[in-house]
Amino acid sequence: MMLKTEDIDQVKAKKYGEPVIEIKGVYKSFGSNHVLKDFNLTINRGENVVVLGKSGCGKSVLIKCIIGLLTYDAGSIKVLGNEVSQLPIEELDILRARIGFVFQSSALYDSMTVRENLEFPLRRHGKHKSKSEIQDLVEETLKDVGLLNAINFMPSELSGGMRKRIGLARSLILHPEIMLYDEPTTGLDPITSSEIINLMLNVQKKYNTTSITISHDMHCARVTGNRLAVIVNGVNYADGTYNELSTLNDPQTHPFFE
Amino acid sequence: MENPPKIDPVDESAELKGSFFDNIPKSLFEFLNEAGEISRFAGKFFKQVFLPPYELKEVLKQAFEIGYRSLSLVAITSFIIGLVLTLQSRPTLVEFGAEAWLPSMVGISIIRELGPVVIALICAGKIGSSIGAELGSMKVTEQIDAMEVSGTNPFKYIVVTRILSTTLTIPILIIIGDAVALYGSYLAVNIRGSVSFTLFFKQVFDSLEFSDVVPAFVKTFFFGFAIGLIGCYKGYNSKKGTEGVGRSANSAVVIGSLLVFIIDLIAVQITEFFGFL
Repeated sequence: MMLKTEDIDQVKAKKYGEPVIEIKGVYKSFGSNHVLKDFNLTINRGENVVVLGKSGCGKSVLIKCIIGLLTYDAGSIKVLGNEVSQLPIEELDILRARIGFVFQSSALYDSMTVRENLEFPLRRHGKHKSKSEIQDLVEETLKDVGLLNAINFMPSELSGGMRKRIGLARSLILHPEIMLYDEPTTGLDPITSSEIINLMLNVQKKYNTTSITISHDMHCARVTGNRLAVIVNGVNYADGTYNELSTLNDPQTHPFFE
Repeated sequence: MENPPKIDPVDESAELKGSFFDNIPKSLFEFLNEAGEISRFAGKFFKQVFLPPYELKEVLKQAFEIGYRSLSLVAITSFIIGLVLTLQSRPTLVEFGAEAWLPSMVGISIIRELGPVVIALICAGKIGSSIGAELGSMKVTEQIDAMEVSGTNPFKYIVVTRILSTTLTIPILIIIGDAVALYGSYLAVNIRGSVSFTLFFKQVFDSLEFSDVVPAFVKTFFFGFAIGLIGCYKGYNSKKGTEGVGRSANSAVVIGSLLVFIIDLIAVQITEFFGFL
């Protein structure tokens, strides 16, 4: 379903609640490569922030630190009030159930069908659910991404765009409060890319999610982001709306908006 | 202007200076480092294998994938081994007038040594490479990360289940392979002579003792464990990119095969020490 311009405006114009992600003074290095240096960013409930930056500047590292896939060297990342680095694994798993992560490569399990891919997080996080409840949830989520007919397909039978949509469906199935998108439109043709962007907007509208999107796609950034953050040399160099940043005459940020 | 001092880019004598660790050749250092990492990986397996959840469904699924899908390859190669060993041994035994010992000789060779080692090597090639490549590609395509995000301990779900499966199914494959190899030997005996099925197998089992069967069977569990461990270690620690997946599969086969021989060597020493040989 394509969203109308007024729907997009409605999604973008809502008021924001309390901070749900607070990143303060985060450092992360890989050997001598200092990726994040005193990085700061706060995201409020309902906000959709797009993080921009050159390849290898640490955008994906940032969201992997947020979800606890990578540990940071110093600083603080609080997600829904929890300090990620200090959570024991059981509590981190509970927190992760409230966060959806859409991987750059979709990361669908090759040995499982689409149905099994969607059932996997449900069986792990939602053990109390009955078989029929799980089936209903899987079908409902696949309907949301328009791929109910692919329920018994293997990932190898899906196109790039379909894989992204299934990846999105799998991360949505637990109805997360926060969505983390790692380059959701990279490698897709403009039409499929627009479909994914519309899906992201639908998700924001239907589930009222807070999101961080890592992207190089300025169309995606403009349409899905209430706010943009630009990483330069490991720090949050510029932070503002699309219009604010696009009018900045700064040599570090200007190339993104050309 | 004074010329700067000339520095030899590969100054081998410089390697002898410095601390003790600086003097270890790079290849030896890498080997020791790798051995240490594999030991740590094995330690993590033993730590996690006894902790819930036990993922029994996945163990059974992997056992089917590993065992059932390798059965035809194991059966064909075992049959050929039994057949060829008998055909090659027969002329020499005939020369010494010991043709009647053919079933006993072939039986002991297959049960004690040839069956377990050759089938383990085949498994190291087929199963080790498939585990290495599968886990390597899972790592490269972020499936392992996705599993972690889904509230699953990927080490437990992927590694522990596969190592358990290889440890349990490779001994079964070896038992089946031994039986097929003996049947191949029976057919080979009957190409030139005429021995009944019952007489052939009576001669085989009469010549076998407890000390032939038990150590040979026990070492197959170690073969299975080593093949699973190396396949998982190489795949789980695969470097990014498709080249890394290929390297993981390749080194899983090489190191797995080498470990089969090393375990066999240790098993022979232990059985000799306890007076089984």
